[in-house]
Amino acid sequence: MKYRDLIIFAILLAIAIAFPWMGVKRYLIASALIMFCYATVVSQWNLVFGIAGIFSLAQVAIFAFGAYTTAVLGRYMDLTLWYAFPIAGLAGMVFSFFVGLACLRMRGIYVALLTLAISQVMFVLIQTDSACSPLNQRDNPATCVSFTGGAQGLGGFGSFGWRDVLGGRNWILGDYYTMLALLVVALIFTAAVTQSRIGLAFKALRDNEELARSRGVSVFKYQLIVFAASAFLTAMAGGFYAAHFGAVGSNLVAFPLLLFLISMLVVGGIGKAWGPLLGAFLLMAADEVFKEFSDWRNIGLGMIVLVFMIFLPEGVAGAIEAVSKRATRLWTALRRRSSA
Amino acid sequence: MNFFIQIIVSGLTFGAMYALAALGLALVWGAFNMLNMAHGIIMTLGAYYALLWAEIWGLPLFFAAPFAAICGGGFGVLVYFISAHWMLRQRNFEVTIIIATFGLGMAAEAGLLKFLREEFRTAPYSQPLSLGADSFLVGDVPVSYQRIVVWAVALVLIMLVGLFLTRTNAGRAIRATAQSRDAARLMGIPVKRVYVMVLALASGLAAISGIMLSSFKDVHPLMGGDPLLKAFIVIVLAGLGNITGALYAALLVGMVEATVKVLVADKYGFTAILVLVIAALIWRPAGLFGQRVVARQ
Repeated sequence: MKYRDLIIFAILLAIAIAFPWMGVKRYLIASALIMFCYATVVSQWNLVFGIAGIFSLAQVAIFAFGAYTTAVLGRYMDLTLWYAFPIAGLAGMVFSFFVGLACLRMRGIYVALLTLAISQVMFVLIQTDSACSPLNQRDNPATCVSFTGGAQGLGGFGSFGWRDVLGGRNWILGDYYTMLALLVVALIFTAAVTQSRIGLAFKALRDNEELARSRGVSVFKYQLIVFAASAFLTAMAGGFYAAHFGAVGSNLVAFPLLLFLISMLVVGGIGKAWGPLLGAFLLMAADEVFKEFSDWRNIGLGMIVLVFMIFLPEGVAGAIEAVSKRATRLWTALRRRSSA
Repeated sequence: MNFFIQIIVSGLTFGAMYALAALGLALVWGAFNMLNMAHGIIMTLGAYYALLWAEIWGLPLFFAAPFAAICGGGFGVLVYFISAHWMLRQRNFEVTIIIATFGLGMAAEAGLLKFLREEFRTAPYSQPLSLGADSFLVGDVPVSYQRIVVWAVALVLIMLVGLFLTRTNAGRAIRATAQSRDAARLMGIPVKRVYVMVLALASGLAAISGIMLSSFKDVHPLMGGDPLLKAFIVIVLAGLGNITGALYAALLVGMVEATVKVLVADKYGFTAILVLVIAALIWRPAGLFGQRVVARQ
């Protein structure tokens, strides 16, 4: 089982590394790297929701928090973004720790509603932020840009800097491999947590909560650890996203992105190891194929989420698992019959 | 003194609106542990239906509102048969139904955005707050009669729902189902029909709440999103499924929001509510009026 996963991982990684050299168009490389970014976020969400059982809807808020922290550090403190990313990751962790501290003692459903409200508050605060910030008037006192950029968004905080190293044609490869590296770290981290004592604790809690609790497994403690730790990579992904696009906006906390990411999670399969990758790939591919129907996009995404929740709540990964299990059973039954 | 009256006036209006929205949410949660994320789109639809009937038939709003409520209730039934009906047997229904209705709500919202983008009205039923034939003075603050109508409608509807729940067989069936689904089924209550009924009732209330919202907000496909989240906050604050508590919590949340909006700034209203609710929940994790209940398996 584990060897099979390792082999799949190695093959996928090889394909991902070779992908830009297979003569694909430039915009496909750009789409792929955005897919890596989303897959990172969704893999951490899967860890929080699927493994630790925290029904959090704040993942998008943490993602945006990382992006905005990166933007603010780069713009106002002239920090090279490579220093800003880890700070953004840590800031995301602190943010998430406090959200967790406030919400995680409550029942699962409360967590969902409160984290959703937190995202919405963040959206409202950014959207209505219109007071001119003196920080933006250093060079030109006549400019009026608010601290977070408000509804217009914020730019001018730098990028990965690959343009200077690799030149104007190949800089996207730098972004591509950076994002890929982040995704690989995220996948390894997820696997490590799942295999660790923490993963074991959640498995115990899932199998028999009363018994696990009576043996001293603290739900709150482990949930808080996972919730805060996963925020590091989520916020980093936000920072990378900001660095790639060179701008951040309130759309990072808005519902359409939440819908897009939740549909990746749902289509891939909540709690399945390969779910996030599968979901991110399928939905980005679908996005590419149905590009001409972009004004139907959110209608389609909403319906996809609905249909999957009704008919395939375990997602594509769950369906593949079920089919392969049935196939093995059929295969052994056939073999037994033929040998008898 | 003036701002005090202002706070009470707008707080009562917010409170009335949240109460109707939250009442529906609490009823549905109580009946079968469903949190309907498509509730907000029903509020939006209610406002649109009212506009539609009022304009097509030339009806005054007061007569168009009941038709809008019926249409909203119909949409609630549709929501049941599109989503919940097929998912009742799922292991963690509580969670999956949230995701499913979130998808449904987003799809409906995107549909409205696509097809009704031009049908945008700037607070169509808002009445000027200057002193005129439509308003009277309390202290120095003009209060429009429309506000009084909003409060009265909310109060009457809440009382009607209360009477319905306590005095009629259908209402007793709803409460019995909320108390124990299995016992209710054993007593011969068709629980699935109860679910449909509750969703229809809740959605009708949501539609009315949406019409109230359009008395001071623009009618727009996205108008329901914000009040929906606040209604969720209200039922969380009260303790899920606690119906009477939800009414008090709605009033409290409305008052807090109005206070912050009048004294500080419009945009911090939601932030203040959220901070208050999280503080309250740290103090009482099961909600202000909730008891610790053993989760139903």
